Amino acid sequence: MEPVYISNLKPFLDAVAERMSLYVPKKTGQHYTYSKYDPDSKSPAELNNIRTCTTVKEFLFPVCELAAIFPEPAEPEEIKPFAVFGLKECDLRSIEILDKVFTEEEFEDPLYIKRRENMFIIASDCFEPGESCFCNFFNGKAFAQNGFDINVSKIRDGFIIEAGSEKGEDFIEKHSRLFNKVPDRLLGERDKNRDKTQKQLEENNAKYKLDVPIKELTESGWESDVFDVEAKNCVECQACTRICPTCHCFYLYDTKQKDYFAKMKMWDGCLRQAYAAVAGGANPRKILGDRIKHRLMHKLVYFVDRYGLDMCVGCGRCIDTCAGEIDMRSILKKLNEELKDKNRPKAKVIK
Amino acid sequence: MSKNPYQPVNGKITEIIDESPTVKSFVVVPEKKIKFETGQFVELTLPGEGEAPFTPSSSPSDSEKMEISIMKAGRMTGLLHQCKKGQKVGIRGPFGKGYPVNDFVGREVYIVGGGVGLAPIRSLFLTLVGRIKDFKSVVCRFGAKTPEDFIYKNALFGPWQKITGVNMKLTVDKANGQWKDNVGVVTTILSPQDVNIGNSAAVVCGPPIMMKFATLKLLEFGFKPVNIYLSMEKNMSCGIGKCGHCMIGKYYVCKDGPVFTYEQIKDYPDIWA
Repeated sequence: MEPVYISNLKPFLDAVAERMSLYVPKKTGQHYTYSKYDPDSKSPAELNNIRTCTTVKEFLFPVCELAAIFPEPAEPEEIKPFAVFGLKECDLRSIEILDKVFTEEEFEDPLYIKRRENMFIIASDCFEPGESCFCNFFNGKAFAQNGFDINVSKIRDGFIIEAGSEKGEDFIEKHSRLFNKVPDRLLGERDKNRDKTQKQLEENNAKYKLDVPIKELTESGWESDVFDVEAKNCVECQACTRICPTCHCFYLYDTKQKDYFAKMKMWDGCLRQAYAAVAGGANPRKILGDRIKHRLMHKLVYFVDRYGLDMCVGCGRCIDTCAGEIDMRSILKKLNEELKDKNRPKAKVIK
Repeated sequence: MSKNPYQPVNGKITEIIDESPTVKSFVVVPEKKIKFETGQFVELTLPGEGEAPFTPSSSPSDSEKMEISIMKAGRMTGLLHQCKKGQKVGIRGPFGKGYPVNDFVGREVYIVGGGVGLAPIRSLFLTLVGRIKDFKSVVCRFGAKTPEDFIYKNALFGPWQKITGVNMKLTVDKANGQWKDNVGVVTTILSPQDVNIGNSAAVVCGPPIMMKFATLKLLEFGFKPVNIYLSMEKNMSCGIGKCGHCMIGKYYVCKDGPVFTYEQIKDYPDIWA
């Protein structure tokens, strides 16, 4: 299906909101967070220039949810179709990662799957990468490549709307009266915008350029003290694991209600000290540096071994949120320099 | 839609056996049959309180009920120890990969166990004994802190030792008046002459420190890491390789284990902690 054009977002968003709950980015301070779309609001949705602060995982894997009720199992909560507007390429890649984990054959998580199946994804191009954005490390792009139902690209005089799935095509066909043919000059403008953003992304990260593939580099860090050094700045607030769109550790806990018992599933984080401890008191990662190392190894080595892709999308949210100014790019760069030193031919000693 | 892996099967504790000052065995009867393989684990829920992972100590051939031996070690196990007969529980699982019993056929099985580590070993032992002719021999080397600390005393101190095809030695760290057997940690009763190392599979289960030194001893005897099977105790929670609590390096103990060969995990520094 050819892309279509619309001059104003409101009729498009209204049409989506007529069919299902729609969540849109809203500027809160310096950042964007999601809230429910209100067609009657005086300031309708704006298109976010950059990824939102909160992540798409909250729609698929809520902070806390009911996992089971007993003794009598209850009917699972009904999830109605919903749409999320303004997701960026990094958000789509994070969904791909969560899909690998939660829809894995024989190990499916039905709580995730029912939300995932009901989510309508409206992506949009990035045109103002943040200082912390480094998706280009992971072959990320400034625009959605796949994994969306509809993509929105802002151009000078309006928006180009493109379908990325049957659901998306179906939506555009059913609402064809809203859209026009894309004027030729505007498609070129979209490509130009995308190139410009991509270039800026690369410029922003030039000083972190690595010489070795990320997995190999991270693996080389087994013996490095980089993680213990970084740990000195870590206050263990765990903001990074919460804001990370791919971190998916959770914690099951039981509660007593009036006439039933419930098992709840709540976000957890591997940086927490007692996270891996067992009842006897043994704890494989007592030291903070070891926990930071484990987190990075999981993302950049173990996950790749298991699922064939990195468990980081380079969205940079962890960098923005860190109270200790820990920056994954600097960790990788330090490992890069250490490896270079190690591999540098030693000067010959002339006897 | 696939079934909900977080939903426990309802069950009831029908019998409680005092095994040692710190260990009790619970006979649990689930409302629906739970078929497990020896070495796999289940999550036992105490309604409203929480759940914890345990490897059943009974033979998988009995799918009507399972026995779970529990050492009082923390909050959940403390609460379980206070339970009375008739207590309602929930069971999720079984999860993970157990002992590859069929790979042991035609070989000697060298089992080194300590303390409450005898719980999974009992399940394996009963499985092996049930088809003892399939194995060259079953050689057991078990240890406990004191004679009182041995679990399954009635079987261990008598009937099990008399089974044809089984060779068993016991030791305690600290003896009392009646103890006439070996004194010393379990590694002191291991000898390279115990089995034909080239045709044996070793199984180790016990407290982390014991597992570490037993494994090192077996390596010293010439065991290949691929022939040493370890039952790893980690903080398994979801059981389906997602929540992350039980990770050892790239492995999820709940899904890829809890039984691993030493070969699989030897390069990770944190396995004994």
